[in-house]
Amino acid sequence: MHAEQLTRALIRIAPLVLIVVLWETATLGGLVNTAFLPSPVMVFVALADLLNGGEISKNLFITLFRAGMGLALGAISGVWLGLMMARSTKFRAWVAPIVGGTYSLPKSALIPLFALWFGIGNITAICAVYLACLLPMIVNTFQGVISTPKVLVWSAQTLGTGERQMLTKIYLRHALPDILTGLRIALGFSFVLAISSEMIASTSGIGKLVFLYGENGAYDYMFASIACVVIIAFMCDRAMVALSDWYLRWHESAEKGDAA
Amino acid sequence: MTPREGSEPSRKAGLRWRSVASVLLLLAIWEAAARAHIAPPILLPAFSVVAVALARVIADGTLPADLVLSLYRAFVGLDLAGASGILIGMLMARNRAVRWLMDPLVALGFPSPKIAFLPVFVLWFGIESLSKILLVAFACVLPIIIGTFNAARAVNRVLLWSAFSLGTTHQALLVRVVLPACYPRIFATLRIALPVALITTFTAEMVAGGGGMGATLVYSQRFFESPTVFAYILVMLGIGLVLDAGVRAFQHRYLAWAEG
Repeated sequence: MHAEQLTRALIRIAPLVLIVVLWETATLGGLVNTAFLPSPVMVFVALADLLNGGEISKNLFITLFRAGMGLALGAISGVWLGLMMARSTKFRAWVAPIVGGTYSLPKSALIPLFALWFGIGNITAICAVYLACLLPMIVNTFQGVISTPKVLVWSAQTLGTGERQMLTKIYLRHALPDILTGLRIALGFSFVLAISSEMIASTSGIGKLVFLYGENGAYDYMFASIACVVIIAFMCDRAMVALSDWYLRWHESAEKGDAA
Repeated sequence: MTPREGSEPSRKAGLRWRSVASVLLLLAIWEAAARAHIAPPILLPAFSVVAVALARVIADGTLPADLVLSLYRAFVGLDLAGASGILIGMLMARNRAVRWLMDPLVALGFPSPKIAFLPVFVLWFGIESLSKILLVAFACVLPIIIGTFNAARAVNRVLLWSAFSLGTTHQALLVRVVLPACYPRIFATLRIALPVALITTFTAEMVAGGGGMGATLVYSQRFFESPTVFAYILVMLGIGLVLDAGVRAFQHRYLAWAEG
């Protein structure tokens, strides 16, 4: 069983290995100009150097802090706003046009505005991430809560569930799969916005690091830092999926067993 | 708590009135706050000042030129992504070797923040339109591949069996049965990819320059021309709304047969 899983994993990642090998042979054969595309070995050497020097972990930590703060704040206020919108028609009527309007606004357009207001650095990045994460959280929570079956609501009410308990035990519980879907979308946005705002208005973070290496022509280091970003984003996404599966193991969608 | 059952049209009119009112209220608060000098005008120019700036940039032709350039980049990139993404997704669904080859690339690429690759695209394709178009294509192609793949896998088997028994060849099956059956889901995916194309274009322009809405926005911010910054953000908001409404109208007109 164990060996079988291992073989399957190896078959799965084989194309990646194949591409790296092809890339290396192409560089060795002189088909690729290393000034434009450093060889995998060069990138690995740069990566090892970066990891040793601590430069990448410092900047990565800054980026993760910005993305994480924005995501957490956006998730909390998004769930609250989505719940309010679903439960109160009046509140929805006032808020819906603003949510609908900002939903299709490219959030990165606000980065220069935030830079104007808050200067460059943490607050600008966190604000941009916050807004980008807020909207999918509102929309998904709203969908989840508004689709709560009346039967569930009535049953809970007959059994004497209080108003406050209705929110946490019925509405939010029913919306949980949608909220977690929204959280996965927001997670993706949080990386994009954190890195974008670092490239536009910051002096630190992994986005700035990638950009600086590009400007200084240290392309092996640039590719190494991009590889770090890709791997971290991939692992966070996988962790998010695993977390949702675990949280929703009681839910009927768990039976299908086929995620992503 | 339950919504009151008024007559449907009058309730809708009431909601619409509130929606308009909430947007107008927001603008009024903005204008009043700016007039009351809550913040220096460089941080918060009044709405009327922004409107004048908007009229100016439209009249002198900078905004229309930027808009055309940005939309050109976004749409060419989206078209490239659509053509290649649908092809790859279809092949992945119908051919095991292609699926084996593409699966780890898609799995790794999908959650990664594509904007981090911008310096690579600038290095390879320069700072003009080409690098932006290709980055947009790269950012949009992954959701399109996944959407097409899932759509093609979900095609009703009865359709395939019927076509086979009526003597349809393999190639004809793909083009005449599988692809049309996937249209609604592929279209839904394109609707997701459209804002991604816009965001990626604007952000790439903000970071790398080379003209367009994003570049002018960042230049205006650097020179503290706040009314222009606000005017450009308002226009970006408008583009998002107009495009989304257009896509929805298209879906309603041509894909109504697939709805519920």
